Amino acid sequence: MATECPLLRMTGVSKRYPGVVALDGVDLEVRKGEVHILLGENGAGKSTLMKILAGAVRRDEGTIEIDGVPLDEPGPRAAQAAGVSIIYQEFNLIPHLTVAENIFLGRERGLGFPGVIDQGWIFREAERRLTDLGVAIDARAVVDDLGVAEQQMVEVAKALSIDAKVLVMDEPTSALTDKEIVRLFSVIRGLQARGVAVIYISHRMEELFQIGDRVTVLRDGRLIGTRTIRDTTMDGLIQMMVGRDLTEKFPKRAVTPGEELLKVEGLARRGVLHDISFTLRRGEVVGLAGLMGSGRTELARAIFGADPIDAGSIRIRGREVKIDSPRAAIHAGVGFLTEDRKRQGLVLALSVTENVCLANVNRMATAGCMHLAQEESAAQRYITDLRIKTPGAAQRVMNLSGGNQQKVVLAKWLCRETEILLFDEPTRGIDVGSKVEIYQLINRLAAEGKAILMISSELPEILGMSDRILVMNRGRIAGEFQAAAATQESLLQCALASSHP
Amino acid sequence: MKIPPVIASHARQFGTLLVFMVLCVVLTVLTPHFLTVSNLLNVAQQTSINAVIAVGLTYVIISAGIDLSVGSIVAFSGVVMAGALQAGWPVAAAVLTGLAVGTGCGIVNGLLIAFGRLPPFIATLGMMSVARGLGLLHTDGRPVSGFGDAFRWLANGEVVGVPVPVLIMLGVYAAAHFVLRRTKFGRYVFAIGGNEEASLLSGVPVAAYKVAVYAVSGLLAALGSVLLTARLNSAQPIAGINYELDAIAATVIGGTSLMGGQGSVIGTLIGALIMGVLRNGLNLLGVSSFFQQVVIGAVIIAAVLLDTVFKRQKR
Amino acid sequence: MKLPSTLWRAAGASLALLLAAGCGRTPETAAGADGRPTVALVVKTLNNPFFIDMQKGAEEAAKALNANLLVQAAEREVDVERQMQIVENLIQRKVSALLITPSGSREIVSAIVKANKAGIPVIILDTRADAAALTAAGGSVAAFIGSDNYEGGRIAGEHLVARMNGKATVAVLEGIPGHETGDARLRGFREALKAHPEMKIVVSQPANWERDLGYNVTQNLLQAHPGVNALFAASDLMALGATEAIAAAGKTGQIAVVGFDAIDEARAAIKSGAMAGSIAQSPAQMGRMGVEAAVKLLGGGTLTPEIAVPIELIK
Repeated sequence: MATECPLLRMTGVSKRYPGVVALDGVDLEVRKGEVHILLGENGAGKSTLMKILAGAVRRDEGTIEIDGVPLDEPGPRAAQAAGVSIIYQEFNLIPHLTVAENIFLGRERGLGFPGVIDQGWIFREAERRLTDLGVAIDARAVVDDLGVAEQQMVEVAKALSIDAKVLVMDEPTSALTDKEIVRLFSVIRGLQARGVAVIYISHRMEELFQIGDRVTVLRDGRLIGTRTIRDTTMDGLIQMMVGRDLTEKFPKRAVTPGEELLKVEGLARRGVLHDISFTLRRGEVVGLAGLMGSGRTELARAIFGADPIDAGSIRIRGREVKIDSPRAAIHAGVGFLTEDRKRQGLVLALSVTENVCLANVNRMATAGCMHLAQEESAAQRYITDLRIKTPGAAQRVMNLSGGNQQKVVLAKWLCRETEILLFDEPTRGIDVGSKVEIYQLINRLAAEGKAILMISSELPEILGMSDRILVMNRGRIAGEFQAAAATQESLLQCALASSHP
Repeated sequence: MKIPPVIASHARQFGTLLVFMVLCVVLTVLTPHFLTVSNLLNVAQQTSINAVIAVGLTYVIISAGIDLSVGSIVAFSGVVMAGALQAGWPVAAAVLTGLAVGTGCGIVNGLLIAFGRLPPFIATLGMMSVARGLGLLHTDGRPVSGFGDAFRWLANGEVVGVPVPVLIMLGVYAAAHFVLRRTKFGRYVFAIGGNEEASLLSGVPVAAYKVAVYAVSGLLAALGSVLLTARLNSAQPIAGINYELDAIAATVIGGTSLMGGQGSVIGTLIGALIMGVLRNGLNLLGVSSFFQQVVIGAVIIAAVLLDTVFKRQKR
Repeated sequence: MKLPSTLWRAAGASLALLLAAGCGRTPETAAGADGRPTVALVVKTLNNPFFIDMQKGAEEAAKALNANLLVQAAEREVDVERQMQIVENLIQRKVSALLITPSGSREIVSAIVKANKAGIPVIILDTRADAAALTAAGGSVAAFIGSDNYEGGRIAGEHLVARMNGKATVAVLEGIPGHETGDARLRGFREALKAHPEMKIVVSQPANWERDLGYNVTQNLLQAHPGVNALFAASDLMALGATEAIAAAGKTGQIAVVGFDAIDEARAAIKSGAMAGSIAQSPAQMGRMGVEAAVKLLGGGTLTPEIAVPIELIK
């Protein structure tokens, strides 16, 4: 379906920050009506390249042409006028405005009187565009009341409302369920048919093969190459991204489960969790699968004392413990690596050291005074041990990549000598190279005698990493599998099964 | 041009300090009365009250809160202490009572915010009125004045030529800086302000520390009140009106972010000094008092504008 | 890198601002050491027509006598601490003489003592400094120049008695409690009513010299005491607030309001019948006499310790 004439041509684009070359002479050609995948590890330069395209960042060198017309004027407005639209991973919607108001924000049509908006036109026009996209969203709905997937569609509609020729989507599926992804893909295909060029950034390799036409790989700010998706393999792409062979995506290991560290019996939280019982042994990785909303995160939060429970008991090392707050859980030796690192796991404005020691301040202080040297050396130890890529322990974590942030969260719990670790989507939003590192770390922790409960939406990850797998369905544990005996199909069946057959 | 990393990492405070130094240089040029030992001690002494109160505000604001009640706490704790002094209590007992009253008001603020889940703005707005009213009730609206020399030494005394209020101020800042940078309490204040939820999930006893932050703010407001009462030889139930705004201004000029999670008490000290030096200098120059307000407002805006410019450049 | 240039830009901005402030100086004071004496007038606030008149009178006298005049005031009338700062700063500036209208009769004492120590003569205008506190602190003032507030209050009382034919239900709006000026006016007023048992004061509440408080307090007391048909306010600003509250209650003309100060707006209200009278002080004359006294003193002359400024009843 893709024609051969390039719609967008970026040539020799470079961008330098003090001490860092973010982009070094990158070329990118995107054709009319194609889905062009942009691939690379975090920090490879994808975002910078797209921000330059969108006019949010100024390039130092290079040219941009759209339909053969050079885009020289700086700034987002010029880029928009040239037909470039970008949907960032974090949505830019105003929560308390309606869908239609969001779509036309900044481009409202007036009614003659200065400052008076033609609301009728906005709603009619928004409805028309949503229908064109084939999505059933009420233009008068308030954005805050919509689900993530619907908000995503509003973003798409908003991006297209400027009659975009080039649409950039940064990790559009990171918060979507499988069903919603299917819908998004059908919308993307619709755009393709209308001749829109879509630049698609994602870490989910499977998706690339479903939706992409061509792929361009960046590494360390340089262009590695552009390939047709049909002529490439996942392993080949990974090799291009990381510059080395990843022989095993999920490293193998042998386990001998030890004593029982955690035993949950009859745990319940009204309307959310029902009669949950399971055990977690030393040296074991237990996968927790299930659809979004099946109660996986809620279960972890309940065990961690972040949400109250109505019934049930929790035993740790054979002793019943009362966990009514995260503090009590931490005291009992439980650590929780939340899904949303930025909102729940880290204090972004604080340094690596301060985050690593946050759960462990008591042991790093005498009479309330911190031992800075002791903290620093602990942080250094984990920076080396976990291979956290940072200019130094004093660096604020907001400046680290997703994978390294995840390692900082992990270091926080290791520093506390936590033995029971609850991982919620440990590799979400993390690039492939770092993912493997996180997997290796999880394996190493298990080998060192920790007990790990790993929540994940990625079934290959669950199958590859776990010793045992629990599947949740509507707040209950619907099944338990030995990893060796489980398949993606059997897990999905269990997760999807209706309780009233 | 290359910038030394020390300066780059403290660029915000460095900027504030530079504004302060430029101010001093300009005033020195404009009037011979500015750069004299007696005037500098005079400014330091005049700054001490606002500076001490602003430390509490800095803690509160770093924790992503706000405390509007400090001005009223100044009045309430002041009249209670003054009443105790006039009843013949020993100075130490009366001062401790005043400090306890301030701390108590702060604890109530903290409880309302941490456990009552009230927004800090609302809780302390309420306390602003309650403490003001209690002070008026306590004295029937009249000032309480006339204290012994031992108490007034807190304002008029000198140790090796340095006025006592200045020493108290420096002591408070040294302690506050240490606590903020080197203790568990300080670490948690930053953590709570930076990300309350992540702090909670890391086992930080968020509620307890919030109460403590507001208690510190109340305590320091009461300490400011001690200095004020000794200085005026009088405690007024209508004292301290708008002091919360002065303290917030000093904090903000000093580079503490109203969003929480970032800031420093050293910046606040410089902020308070900038305000004190400006007022002093404009008096020395004989500038009309209306124009003084314009200048002070403009400096507050300029300092915060500088902050935003810095942040934009860092990106 | 751009960092230093930003700093310099900020520094430049501050510099410009201060230079602007320098230009905002009153031109007379820019002269400095030209041998003419510099007299500083520190009033309570310049938001009040009374003190603006005083400033005008002082300026006329300064011009006539070839003296420099500096006029300074706190933003808010109740801000005794700020007034003290201003006096301290003027001491640093080594002015020749200080004319002060104290915001707080007792609170000003420390500042007077400081001026005494610096050898700067102090003349008090309008509001007395607390005599006992001054003696206790070992301070002294060269003279007091002001209206006889007690006499003014008495005249106001007698006017109200005559107007109501010796029978009325009376409400009183007080100034800030503990103010010598207000207290003297109230004492005089009560004294005048003593001989008339049917003139009953049913309510007496402070409205802190403020117009909007005068409005609110009056509104409330009309609710509580609907029978009130005469009102004395210790200042015209409060009296004008009261007339507005009375108008809002639809009772204009039914309540006789007597104020104090006879500011222009009050004179207009008396003409229109909204007010029954006011006591005219002459703030302009007070300012004029203050500067004249200061110049006389600096020229080696002596002053009588009490200089009365004439008062009259406007009706």
